[in-house]
Formats: sequence, structure tokens, C-alpha cells
Amino acid sequence: MHERIGEHFLWHLPVLGDVHADTIMTTWLVMIVSLVFFGWVGATYRSKFISRRQTVVEAAINYIADLASGTLGEKGEPFVPFFIALFFFIFLLNQFGIFPFKAVGLTFGGSPTADINTTLPYALMIFFMIQYVAVKQKGIKYFAHVTKPFWFLTPINILEELARPATLCARLFFNIFVGELLFVIIASIIQAGVMIGAINLSLLVTVVPFFIQFFNFFVGTIQAFVFTLLGIVYLSLAISDDH
Amino acid sequence: MTSEAFVAGITLLAFGIIVAGVALGSAIGDGNVAGKAVEAIARQPEARPNIFTFLFLGVGVLEAFPIIALGLAFYLLLVVVRVPALLTHLSTVAK
Repeated sequence: MHERIGEHFLWHLPVLGDVHADTIMTTWLVMIVSLVFFGWVGATYRSKFISRRQTVVEAAINYIADLASGTLGEKGEPFVPFFIALFFFIFLLNQFGIFPFKAVGLTFGGSPTADINTTLPYALMIFFMIQYVAVKQKGIKYFAHVTKPFWFLTPINILEELARPATLCARLFFNIFVGELLFVIIASIIQAGVMIGAINLSLLVTVVPFFIQFFNFFVGTIQAFVFTLLGIVYLSLAISDDH
Repeated sequence: MTSEAFVAGITLLAFGIIVAGVALGSAIGDGNVAGKAVEAIARQPEARPNIFTFLFLGVGVLEAFPIIALGLAFYLLLVVVRVPALLTHLSTVAK
């Protein structure tokens, strides 16, 4: 079994130490793919006619944009493009695992979000962005909200704040990671050649990866959506007036 | 029974308990979310897109905990105790 889960191709860099090279390369590849794709879609804006690709992509963008501007209100209007970009980038990262680059022996491939080193920075980015934006809008007295409604709830409130990036990161990581892990489990069942009576179980489970791939597509979409929407909700909680 | 066989058996038992609890809990939770969403749509059919958004948000948030538990269970099974390697070792010892 060549495909292994949790093992990464490493680069040994002087200052950073060992880094997961496959995750970095795949993320850059997804960045190039998304730039080319959205450039291709955006190129139709120069013509007067509305093309099909514009309609399809605009439907998805409008959905996220309406959700973001509806939840954030007027104050959060500058952040709507950020959340649109976040959704599409995480969506593409999640779905990129469908291409079996690693299985054919390349050093990149697989979903970069199946690596906790990808999801934790995104969660921390949202966390620090929210703190920065809230402090910029309300001043340093924004941090007084951890003492509300009672002063003795301060530790619990701080814990709640810190649990947000942790769960945001773990949710995305484990969903994509378990999706890839299921393939390895199925592969090990096929490899073991299990016979139950006259039934060849290993032959039967060869159809299962098809359904797992469908499940992964669904889960990847939902988790990208949940990641974005929770970011929107946390930001709207931080910048709303009624604390 | 050797202590290695005991460890393998207990780990498999723990894995089974974790998966059973995860399946039970997430099934109940998903059923609750979907049932309440159907009720809400039946009461207010015009709010359907909005309800769908929060249905998917609820399912996505809820589905994360069983997946995290499943990931940790597989970590226990494959990395901490290495049950497949342990079982291969035990079967060669038995011969």
C-alpha cells in the first residue's frame, strides 16, 4: 500500500525546520488553479453579454455575499469579499483531494486541509482579524466584554473565546482527514482478501470508494460553508453594538 | 492470554464502543436537526432558503464532533496501539 495517511514529504529548511512540502506545493497549485479559474470567469465581464460561466459563479458568490452582508450589517460590508474568497479557497482546497496525484507517485496532492498545519493558520487568521477589527472599531474597551454579564465569569468567557479557533481548526481538519482515512481503511480491507463463507468481501467493498468520494464532496462543501459562516457569525458578534 | 493479546482486545473493544456512541449520538442529533427543520418549513414555507442555510450550518457543526471522535479512535487504533501490526505479530507467535 503506497498511499499512507499522516506521512508527509518533508523539506528541511534552515530556520523553519521540517516543513510539509506536499501541503505547501498543493496549496500553491490550488492558488494558481483558482487564480486562473476566476480570471477566466472574470474575463467575460469585458463583454456586454452575460455568459453562462458568469451566471453560474455569480449565483454561488451572491449566496455567500447575501449571507455575509445580511449577518454583518453595514459595518461589516468591507469584509464580504474576504469571506467570499475564504469560502471558495477552502472549497477548492477540500475538493483538490479528488485528484490522485499521490497515488501515481508525485510528491504533492491530497487535500491540504487534511493537514492541521493548514487549518490552524486559517482559524488563527480569523481569530486575530476579529480581535483587530473589534479593537479598531470599539477601542481597547472591547476586551471588557469578557467580564460581562458577571465579573466571575471572566475565565469561562476567555476559554470560550479561545475555544472558537480551536474548534474551527479541528472541525475542518478532522472532516477532511477522516475522509482520506476511510480510503486507506477500504484499501486495507481489499488488500487483506477477506472471505466470509462463499462471499468475497474484498471484491464487494471495491464499490464503496465511489460512495465515499461522493460523501467527501458533500462534506468538503459543507465544511467550507460552515467555516466561512462561523467566521461571519464570530465577526458579527464582535462588531455588533449590543453586547 | 498474553498481555499483548489483552491490549489488542481491549483496544478493539474501546474502538467499538467509541464508534457505537458516535453513531448513536450523531444519528439522534442529525435526526433532531432535520426534523425541526421540516417542522419549521411546514410552518413557514416562505422561509425555506433561510432554514436550509441554518440546517446545513447545524448539520455541519454537529457532524464535526463524531468525525473528531472517529479520528481520535482511529489514532488510538492505528498509531497508539498499532492493532494491525500487533495482530500480525500475535498470529505469527501463535504458529
